[in-house]
Amino acid sequence: MPTQIEIDSVQVAYGTPPRTILRGVDLRIGQGEFVCLLGQTGCGKSTLLRLVLGSEQPLLGEVRIEGRRHTRPDATCGYVPQRYSLFPDKTVLDNITFGAEVHDANFLSRLIGRGRQRRRQFRSEALGYLQRIGLQESDGAKYPHQLSGGMQQRVAIAQSLMTKPRILLMDEAFSALDPGTRPDMQRLLRELWRDTGTTVIFVTHNTDEALRLATRVIVLAKTAQRPGEGSCVALDLPVPSPCREEEIPRLITRLEAASQNEIIPTEIIQNVNIQNVNIGASGIRRAG
Amino acid sequence: MTPGITSIHAKPGKSVTVTLSWFLFAAGLVAYLITAAARHRDNPEERVTPTVAQMVTGMTKAVLSPAEDDEALPEGASWVTRLSRSMLWKDTKASGLRFFYSMALLLPAVMLGLHMGLFPYVGALFLRFVLFFDKIVALSLLPILFIVFGIDELSKIMLIVVGVAPTIILDTFNLTRGVPGEQIVKAFTLGASDFDVAYRVVLKQIWPRVLNSIRLNLKAVMLFLFAGEMIASTDGLAYRIALLRRHMGMDLIIPYVLWTALLLFLVDLSMRLLNRRLHPWFEEGGLREGGAG
Repeated sequence: MPTQIEIDSVQVAYGTPPRTILRGVDLRIGQGEFVCLLGQTGCGKSTLLRLVLGSEQPLLGEVRIEGRRHTRPDATCGYVPQRYSLFPDKTVLDNITFGAEVHDANFLSRLIGRGRQRRRQFRSEALGYLQRIGLQESDGAKYPHQLSGGMQQRVAIAQSLMTKPRILLMDEAFSALDPGTRPDMQRLLRELWRDTGTTVIFVTHNTDEALRLATRVIVLAKTAQRPGEGSCVALDLPVPSPCREEEIPRLITRLEAASQNEIIPTEIIQNVNIQNVNIGASGIRRAG
Repeated sequence: MTPGITSIHAKPGKSVTVTLSWFLFAAGLVAYLITAAARHRDNPEERVTPTVAQMVTGMTKAVLSPAEDDEALPEGASWVTRLSRSMLWKDTKASGLRFFYSMALLLPAVMLGLHMGLFPYVGALFLRFVLFFDKIVALSLLPILFIVFGIDELSKIMLIVVGVAPTIILDTFNLTRGVPGEQIVKAFTLGASDFDVAYRVVLKQIWPRVLNSIRLNLKAVMLFLFAGEMIASTDGLAYRIALLRRHMGMDLIIPYVLWTALLLFLVDLSMRLLNRRLHPWFEEGGLREGGAG
């Protein structure tokens, strides 16, 4: 699995006087991984996501995607935020085709016939996605505010996948949904991830969700020794796939201990890490 | 116990609500008619409160005969010719043209506000200056405008633009800033260029609200238009009203005031209907969120 995203001893601070949010974050994320960033509110997990997105720059260190520094948001990464994820002025279908259209078309090609033909092609592709995410063809003409929250997020995922990004970034994308629709969304996302082979980084504060989705859970937390100095990676846990139901409570306890964090010197973190790799491996063997 | 009619919880029925909403109109009209009748009994030469008949006569003349005596109509002219050369049409056309020129000049103001909100360098260059300009009382600039642009059309249109544009610029700026950052980032991750983000994402989203903001400023536009016309003009609705004041022509002033109100109401109504028609996704009272939650 080739490394795709490199995060090199990154430090982020905001405000005057500067308050450190992230400190010494070092991560390698491989192509096709499904990474969940887990942590308590305000621990900087969304900040880390925005670094990868390119909408924010680190104070120190650097973020590279496929070897190149990422300095502004572009089509390398798809993005599904928690709210405002769809353009309210466009229909569902136009939302989904938006990426393909701006990608390809300048005004000229939109004017001449070829552009219209391309447009028809985008629409049929978008209809395919619409079906894939479980919406009716008639929903394509609706505006986002006519859809439920879960439907909106489905469309937002389809919209991001339409441009075939190599990385999909999701910021608390399911956090505002009813508990009832969440499992469906998680299943859908897993399927899409498996089908497209795209790398997913998914920020959540829900431990259960993280374990059900990810192949790897990264916990960000402030350390007890230096609480004022921002969060760092408290735990980096590979998750067996599929994660067995009876494993989940135990893993949840461990992850939550890590994120609550009156932790634990660094050596112990590393030990926990190694131990967890073992659990992960045995989990896979048992599952197989 | 049902709440009394003075209570916040009172629930007037539909017919009561409709009746009440027209009550003040009826009361005002009746009060006027009684006053006018009484005053005309006392003094048949009364000019301050013309009777309805007098106003109808005055307006008929305004609608069907030319403003200036030297523009006499040919004998037996068709009513279309009569209308198109009448005083009312001439005044309405003159004021309407100024109005639409100034509305057209508000479009660059919207564009400036949009770019100020999106592009940091544009914002840095213009924001402080526009804020300063916004605080200048536009009417106090009128003498300067007359000196610089002369007493013709340009100075009147400039008065409107100077008076209203800063508000529109700042409103658009704030609306642009109000677009959630997620939307802009999302558009970039879908491969959009700066151009796409500015015009296809942000401008399209704020456009109905910009139209509403222009609607709210219609009164200011008319205010500056009338101020300019009353002070220096040879035609236009406000020029006519100011002219008629000199010989107490209340029989025309009152219909002119109502006619102006009607026109403004129609412009506002058509903009509202157009807004609703063009933006079915827009709900009054605010953009609904594009995402979950």
